[in-house]
Amino acid sequence: MNESLLSPVRGAWTAMQGTLYFLPPFPSRIDTLALLSLLLVIGLLVAEWLRARWGWPRVLGYVAAGTVFGPPLLGWISDDILAQLRPIADAAHGLLLLEAGRRLDLRWLLRNRDLLRGSVGDIALSFLAIYGFACFVAGLSPAWAAATAAVTMASAPAVVLLIIEESRAQGQVTERVMMYSALGMAASLVVFVIVLGFVHAQQDVTWMVVLAHPLWAGLGACLLGWLASRLALLIAGYLPKRSLSQVFVLVAMALLAIGVSRMLGVPVFLTLFLMGVLLSFSDEAKVLSYTGLPEGHGMLAIILFVVVGASLPWRDVTWLMAAQAIGLLLVRAATKLLAMALSGGALSGGKRLLVGIGIQPLSATAVFMAFEIGRLYPEIGNSALQLAFLAAAIMDIAGPVLCRLALNRAGETAVEKEVPGGAL
Amino acid sequence: MSDSLEFHDSEPLTLGVELELQLLTTRNYDLTRGATDLLRAARHDGANGEVKLEITESMIEINTRVRPSADGIAADLDAMRGLLVEQCARNNIAVCGGGAHPFHSWPDRRISPGERYEMTYERYGYLAKQFTVFGQHIHVGCASADDAVWLTQALGPYMPYFIALSAASPYIDGVDTLFHSARLNAVTAFPLSGQCPELADWDGFLEHFGFLRDCGIVTGIKDLYWDIRPKPEYGTVEIRVCDTPLDVVQAAALAALAQALSRYLLRERPGFDAGKALQVARYNKFQACRYGFDARVSCPQKRAQEDLRSTLRDLLDTLNADAKALGCQHWLDVLRTALFTGTTGSDWLRARQAVHKNLNDVVRDSAERFSAMRPQARDQGSEIHATAKPPET
Repeated sequence: MNESLLSPVRGAWTAMQGTLYFLPPFPSRIDTLALLSLLLVIGLLVAEWLRARWGWPRVLGYVAAGTVFGPPLLGWISDDILAQLRPIADAAHGLLLLEAGRRLDLRWLLRNRDLLRGSVGDIALSFLAIYGFACFVAGLSPAWAAATAAVTMASAPAVVLLIIEESRAQGQVTERVMMYSALGMAASLVVFVIVLGFVHAQQDVTWMVVLAHPLWAGLGACLLGWLASRLALLIAGYLPKRSLSQVFVLVAMALLAIGVSRMLGVPVFLTLFLMGVLLSFSDEAKVLSYTGLPEGHGMLAIILFVVVGASLPWRDVTWLMAAQAIGLLLVRAATKLLAMALSGGALSGGKRLLVGIGIQPLSATAVFMAFEIGRLYPEIGNSALQLAFLAAAIMDIAGPVLCRLALNRAGETAVEKEVPGGAL
Repeated sequence: MSDSLEFHDSEPLTLGVELELQLLTTRNYDLTRGATDLLRAARHDGANGEVKLEITESMIEINTRVRPSADGIAADLDAMRGLLVEQCARNNIAVCGGGAHPFHSWPDRRISPGERYEMTYERYGYLAKQFTVFGQHIHVGCASADDAVWLTQALGPYMPYFIALSAASPYIDGVDTLFHSARLNAVTAFPLSGQCPELADWDGFLEHFGFLRDCGIVTGIKDLYWDIRPKPEYGTVEIRVCDTPLDVVQAAALAALAQALSRYLLRERPGFDAGKALQVARYNKFQACRYGFDARVSCPQKRAQEDLRSTLRDLLDTLNADAKALGCQHWLDVLRTALFTGTTGSDWLRARQAVHKNLNDVVRDSAERFSAMRPQARDQGSEIHATAKPPET
């Protein structure tokens, strides 16, 4: 992008090196830390502007910044830079999914069977409807249709979490949106692992690979998530609850899990989500239950969603594909609303529908899952998953707005009504 | 909007209890917004009372029906406790007693929907959110309006006992306040809190209320945040100084004390100097809030200080005959045990903090205590008894 701008500077620099021999060679690319700081500031400014101007959720601003400055438009964030940022994005995404997993309270499901019914309905209907649409309307093969369904069936807990934190939402709609998002994500990850085998099978690879890869990804993530959660609880048990030391232990163990997952080729998002679930479920003594992630995870979220925005496949979009993506999202939205409407329970019908709207987001995890599957067979995977990528791209914009709208309409966000001199 | 001031006579010495309870997120046991959702979801026939909203969405109130005995109150409270705990569990919310949440952040509280609450917020600003404290109100039925005004004043000197026996709010903003009941400090900020002035009879009360209304200070009886006030619409005297105890057993025992004491006072009609009692009332209230059973309270008749612990013991002995007549001796035994062991609810909370060194766990224990500790049937009939010893957590 900037070659024409940089070339006089490079020339001058090189000329100076003759005299000022201590000067290093002209940097071939921007330093990662400098890049991070630029992305942070750009993401923040765009998000704050959109929020101040139209009251949009901040996460939308981060995605918009990534889209504008990424390869599809200005190209200031190149594909190389995206690859350079991937470990940071993995860490950010992993931490958010860790928190989403920690919020999955499985005991609540046992106490309230309406939730179980709603969740099973959401998972089953969403998968079947999206699979049917991808297979019969978009014309994908069964394996790639299943991959599309696995990637897009669930909500986006990372987005939901950020919206809830930003709006300081509290209440039954909020709790259910978080619960259904986390449960949907769990189901989506299970389907994702199974689908890996189907995708391999379609490519005529050996049965060894067909069976071993899902097992490697699934069992590997389970094992790493379990080890990281046990280690975190063990070490944190020696430290005061809610102390800064415990926060460091939690973050350190999460980063360890991310690093080892990357080393072993196990999906990071799967490992971290499972680590969070296991932390929530097995922490009977509440060793780490009260210890939250540091405020800094919001900073990492900016990087994550800028990267997601820059990774979205706007370049190769055709009208047909756009129409198909919108169709897929409409089918997905309808099934989620239907599942919530049919779930019954003490929550009023109107609020159940708001839960259905609140779980519409589709974002980072879908994009990252699609990358995981796509990179297996890049020559066909990326095009076969274009529908899923595009659906995620559209919902990266619409999802946060819908989620925020649902929580607002439920009256559960911090500012419900203004009164003279304050907010109720 | 003004309340009716017509006094509806009620059956003398009947009881009614209101308990304000804390709604907690099970994630970290901080207060959470949940009252309106719970109220909509609560399915009950009203046989044992009602569930109501309070000023903020993190509070919920359970009311008993009007009952002739503390046993009936205990049965109602237990039924409402069970209903609420079950409904809360379905919504992933925990519920507990105690006069104040140990570490919640008051700016995060949400005012409940409703004209009355919105007006309160407009009128009192941030005080309304800081009023997220939790009390037990005890109604004692009075045969006439004059009796109610007399009893309102006659009960005044005994309020330190109710404060000490119910005290369960030692922590505010995550800090040990050194008080046994820090909750009442939140109430004191309101301009119409305090004690009922010296009044001769119901006409005197009407004249005083009319004066306040004409001066634009009150519009209804609910504007009077007195420690004890007559409640004309119910035909009762309402004792409002108690923290919500940590379990319904202690709540029923406090109702029994109110009933036995009222019977004694109405029966004996001991003479007292209301003016002098008012002069020491705030001091004695502070002493009970700060020191619990270890308070030293001023006695205007003797012009001296007395140990609250020993005078309370004497009072419980004095009330034996009335308690026997009312069939509530076993409830006063619960209070005797607390006095004998010297353990207020605040002491229990501090003991849990000494174990956990973490207030989240203290609130978790408190929620478990509220859920688990119930009055038990003493025999096949409806009579109820309880032990004061909370479950080990």
